Amino acid sequence: MSRLTRHLCALVLLAGFAPPAAGRAQAVQNATLRRAQQAYDNLEYRQVVSLARAALRERLTGAERARAYELLGFTYGALDSILKAVDAFKQVVLIDPERQLDPNRVSPKAYSAFDVALRQVLLVRQLRIDSTSFVGGRGAVPIRFTVTQPARVVTRAIGGGGGGGAGGGNYVIDSGAWNGQVNLSWPARLASGDPVPAGNYTVVVEARLGQNAFSASQPIRVSHGSVDTLPSLTSLPGYQYLPETEVPPQSWRPLGLAFLYTGGALVGTLGLESSSLGSSSKRELAVVGGAALVTGFVMTLRKPAPRPAAANILYNRLLRDQIARRNQDIAKENVARRQQVQLTLVPLPKPSGAGPR
Amino acid sequence: MSRAAAGVALFVLASRAAPAQGVAVTVGPQFVLASYREVASGLRYQGSGFGGAASARYRKLSAEVGVVRLTLDPATGSAATNGFTATEVDAWVAYDLATYASVEAGVIRRTADPEFDAQSVGAVRIGARSFYEIGPGATVLFRANYLAAPKFSGGGHARFSVDLGLGLDVRLAGRLHGTAGYTFQRISRKTNPGGTGEIDAAIQETVARVGIALAL
Repeated sequence: MSRLTRHLCALVLLAGFAPPAAGRAQAVQNATLRRAQQAYDNLEYRQVVSLARAALRERLTGAERARAYELLGFTYGALDSILKAVDAFKQVVLIDPERQLDPNRVSPKAYSAFDVALRQVLLVRQLRIDSTSFVGGRGAVPIRFTVTQPARVVTRAIGGGGGGGAGGGNYVIDSGAWNGQVNLSWPARLASGDPVPAGNYTVVVEARLGQNAFSASQPIRVSHGSVDTLPSLTSLPGYQYLPETEVPPQSWRPLGLAFLYTGGALVGTLGLESSSLGSSSKRELAVVGGAALVTGFVMTLRKPAPRPAAANILYNRLLRDQIARRNQDIAKENVARRQQVQLTLVPLPKPSGAGPR
Repeated sequence: MSRAAAGVALFVLASRAAPAQGVAVTVGPQFVLASYREVASGLRYQGSGFGGAASARYRKLSAEVGVVRLTLDPATGSAATNGFTATEVDAWVAYDLATYASVEAGVIRRTADPEFDAQSVGAVRIGARSFYEIGPGATVLFRANYLAAPKFSGGGHARFSVDLGLGLDVRLAGRLHGTAGYTFQRISRKTNPGGTGEIDAAIQETVARVGIALAL
């Protein structure tokens, strides 16, 4: 490998230690810390260590202090002083517990040092409470957080009573030994089963391990609303009423029946005529029989009359009964729903200056 | 109050009350053609007349009544010299046994004027009828009645007397119906004039009624 190639490899390796938030340097007010940042950018690590330590002896904001320790952590990582790097990163996460490093942008050494630092400090991180809405007693508020060490963790909701958390209750959500990612569900109910009063709460997660303790909090707002009632059904999805009459197919049946009835009268007349009186007049039968035959012929040509479809009538009756039964259930459900409370929970932004204890 | 006025009043009252009670009532006039034979083939009459019919139905029970007044004249080649006027009243009460058949009972009474120009007859009807709706609003009917215990103005008796009928009812428009009816009546009357022995004095009549009816 040529010398030039080696220098390029070293540059690439060192570029891996570049702090991911270089833009923060612009927000840094402290001059010493700015110089430390410049020295880090110029890969002058010895100078970074001395300048960062000097900056830490000066008055710094929390963010600047965290930034100074982060520069130290990256620099010690680059100098292979892993223990010092871990110590520096410990200070970073104690100041800013939510601090995360992007494994794609920092060197593996720095990232592993940061990870080791996280495991050596008791922290409650990434406390997340999602917006949710549910009927009291039929849902729960999801609460997620991460505990960096095995610890006794007590989760509480403090406040309520309508304003600011003052003068409210203190509701224990969970108490247990946890480590790593924790998922909790809070039904937001009192011991009596009633929903917690509406108001602003602070969910506090407190972890304790021996003498060490750490807590994180998230303000939330709980509001009460009425539960939506269900509309009555007019039909069942996928089921439709069927026509209760059906038109039979056109046939010669009407004319056939007219022939049958007229023929019956003719045969009866011919058969019952008295021999002594002779053949009776057929004029009357011709008039009425002819009318019957013409009517039968006309009815044959006409569209047949709709007739009741027994199966469809039965089906429709069953469907109506089913819908009526469902509507009765819906009416009962609505009576119950009118007595229920819709809980809506929204996380609030953390007040400025609030931080871990 | 005259009989006509009373009849009109009764009709109006019935027409208003019937639908409310679930009773289907029809009433209307009829034109009638008739042929009449008696005793021998030479004694035959033909004529026409007018009448009226009314029917009512309540569920499976139905009733029907018809009154016609006929002027019968001697037919061509008849031995009769004078015609006569006949008034015939028919009445039935029926009960449906099925959607196409019912049993029925009723009376028939036919009177002749002048009284002795033809036999006046009275009898009880017992029989059955079949009816079928052959199309929207069109019904055909066939009936066969036995005429029991017939009575004649000239005396005598009849062991075998039947009455066959063919009927047609077509709804023309709305409540207006067209009706047609055919009746063949054969009465095997026997008499014993002067105690000389029974002789046949049969009576045979065919009647065609054509009319309209209004459903109330």
